Amino acid sequence: MSYALTEEQELIQQSAREFTQEYIEPIATEIDNTSAYPRAVIRQMAEHDFLGLYLPEVFGGTEAGYLSYVLMIEEISKVSGAVASILINHASLAAYSINCFGTAEQKQAYLPDLCSGEKLGAFALTEPGAAPGAGTHKVVATKVGDNYILTGHKCYIANGGVADVYVVFALTNPEAGAKGMSAFIVDASTAGLTVSRTIGKMGLRGCPSAELVFENVIVPEANLLGAEGAGMKMAQVAQLVASVAEGAQVVGIAQAAMDDAVKYGKQRIQFGRPIATFPAIQTMLAEMATNIYMARLAVYDVASLIEKGEPFAKEAAMVKLFTGRIGQSALIDVIQIEGGYGYSQEMVASRYYRDIKGAVISSSSAEFPEKVIASDLLA
Amino acid sequence: MADMTLTPKQQELEQLAREFTEKHIIPVASEWDEKGEFHQFILEEVKKVGLNCMAVPQEYGGPGFDSLSQSVVMEQFGYGCCGFATTLGGNGLSSYPLAIAGTDEQKKLYYGRLVAGGSGGFALTEPGAGSDAGSCATVAKLDGDEWILNGTKCFATTCGVATIMIIFASTDPSKGVKGLSAFIVEKERAGLTVGATEHKMGIRSSNTVELLLKNVRIPKDHLLGKEGEGMKIAMKTLDMARPIVASMAVGVAQRALDATIKFAKEYLDVNGKPIGMNQAIGFKISDMAIQVEAARQLVRNALRLKDAGVPYTKEAAMAKTFATDAAMSVSADAVGLMGHYGYSKDSFVEKLMRDAKVTQIYEGTNQVQRIVISGILLR
Repeated sequence: MSYALTEEQELIQQSAREFTQEYIEPIATEIDNTSAYPRAVIRQMAEHDFLGLYLPEVFGGTEAGYLSYVLMIEEISKVSGAVASILINHASLAAYSINCFGTAEQKQAYLPDLCSGEKLGAFALTEPGAAPGAGTHKVVATKVGDNYILTGHKCYIANGGVADVYVVFALTNPEAGAKGMSAFIVDASTAGLTVSRTIGKMGLRGCPSAELVFENVIVPEANLLGAEGAGMKMAQVAQLVASVAEGAQVVGIAQAAMDDAVKYGKQRIQFGRPIATFPAIQTMLAEMATNIYMARLAVYDVASLIEKGEPFAKEAAMVKLFTGRIGQSALIDVIQIEGGYGYSQEMVASRYYRDIKGAVISSSSAEFPEKVIASDLLA
Repeated sequence: MADMTLTPKQQELEQLAREFTEKHIIPVASEWDEKGEFHQFILEEVKKVGLNCMAVPQEYGGPGFDSLSQSVVMEQFGYGCCGFATTLGGNGLSSYPLAIAGTDEQKKLYYGRLVAGGSGGFALTEPGAGSDAGSCATVAKLDGDEWILNGTKCFATTCGVATIMIIFASTDPSKGVKGLSAFIVEKERAGLTVGATEHKMGIRSSNTVELLLKNVRIPKDHLLGKEGEGMKIAMKTLDMARPIVASMAVGVAQRALDATIKFAKEYLDVNGKPIGMNQAIGFKISDMAIQVEAARQLVRNALRLKDAGVPYTKEAAMAKTFATDAAMSVSADAVGLMGHYGYSKDSFVEKLMRDAKVTQIYEGTNQVQRIVISGILLR
């Protein structure tokens, strides 16, 4: 690829690659098998300054830019989709929201700890009974004096239970629906906030998914993020930013899976020759390689738009749409090439198959990207 | 709605299988999936309703169902649990070689075990012989009145729990495909041991094992057909079995569709409307339904040809390919449309997406189906 990466970006890519090989690869399968949150790895990543990679230096980040950040996500995803998800929820959703929409005081209060890894962030939007991105099953925030009191349930919250800081979306005006939604920064230790259960899932195991219960959780007014009623808008922006990182996650997983299929196809002898010599297999490989190449270019391009502060909503949604399609089809083909062996739980391909689906569905409902793209076209 | 082209008897069977599935399979399928096994008592239950060995003719104590009847039952079982259906399908799969080449004595032996409530196994695949079944390295040598079998089979479906099985071995390795022969082997034969169990990504309640044969002696009359007819028997068997696997896949796809429809009616969008009211989602669900119905009718078409006694190899391969591709795509769409919920263990569709993948692989990969189809079209 001749995409013009700067020397610094190449360096970050290289160091992320070395890090993942040294610290994550040896335990990636175990993380999946046990579903255990890889605390030690996250701490090591913090020590390598990966947790605040694109965030402002003034708040303890490295300010290396969003493209450098997605290069890192891509490298991590080649080895563990789950670790990448932990990072995306921390950096692209929670920290991003605070950095983008927070007051100077809020940034000062939260970003240094999020950048250093002292604290882990999470993004609490989804509610039970509500489609991702929708505000139906209601966490309600009622203003009482200088505080808001939050009550309700959140579901499928990534990093739930291990996060220290939640960006929580709650209805300050339930009658207004989406327009009555606001965002709050809530410390995990706040009284009344509990994790009612962790939820098993198909893949991305190790990035915990939890149900959160808010029972009269008192949040000071100072922790309202952005304006009252601006919650849904902010959530959509953060999700679009995250979808570019998830695009990198899909590209990373698909690339690693394809590499595995190529290796398998060269070794696996049937009908007296390696199966990779059959046109049927080559067609599948060529298709996925083309798709991965296109997807990667788009991911890098939109990451650059974000980095430069240019409009990116339509393009980010396109990345979401395209990477979703090609990621899914790549893994269906990778397992097909590897056959019964690929289908075995003990093979890495089956983990990629389960993980990529999670990367694809992560931060939007199924029709969300099309809607964003069309809205932009018709504006 | 019932398929009105089914006979009243077939419709009755479908209803019986549906009720059985609702009562005995659906409530426990997730637990089977988690544990990687099903309760053996289910085999007793399925025997009670007379659906345990559908391919066994009436004169041997079975129900002797026509192929389409077997298909409608297997679709229901696939709807409940593809792993369970795979196990039951093994009884059919391993019965077909008897119908093709079995003597009266052989049928009495083999069918007798199945009628008594046992499970049948079919061991063709080897580490070096997958799609290329002719590269079989398991050998059978005649020693007086006995065959002595030596070798290793892998991905042997149900063979860890089967009471009797069909095992393929080469009686003349110098002849390649033409040296392949089929044998009836009872599980208690000395030297036959079950090796490692495969831990699979899906159809986890189905037993998949390595089968080790070390000087396994079986009577001379356990050879099915003639020496060297193994490949012919295997191919005819797979012709018969493919529409059945396709039926299971239709069941998987239908289950994913039903779950999606329910979700789309119940889940509310941000404006409080069921998400199914959104045209984009409604169209997606329509596409899923079109695939399911087209798959079902393609399967039934192939089986009507078979039951009419006309060539159906090409149509069986088409049905297998189309139906299993439909199961893959519909189940993946279901997870996508249901988002975090669909990806979690709270829903059943993530299991469907793991199960669906194997249907594109086993009983001849969909690439092998295309070899069959193009071979007929281009000859």
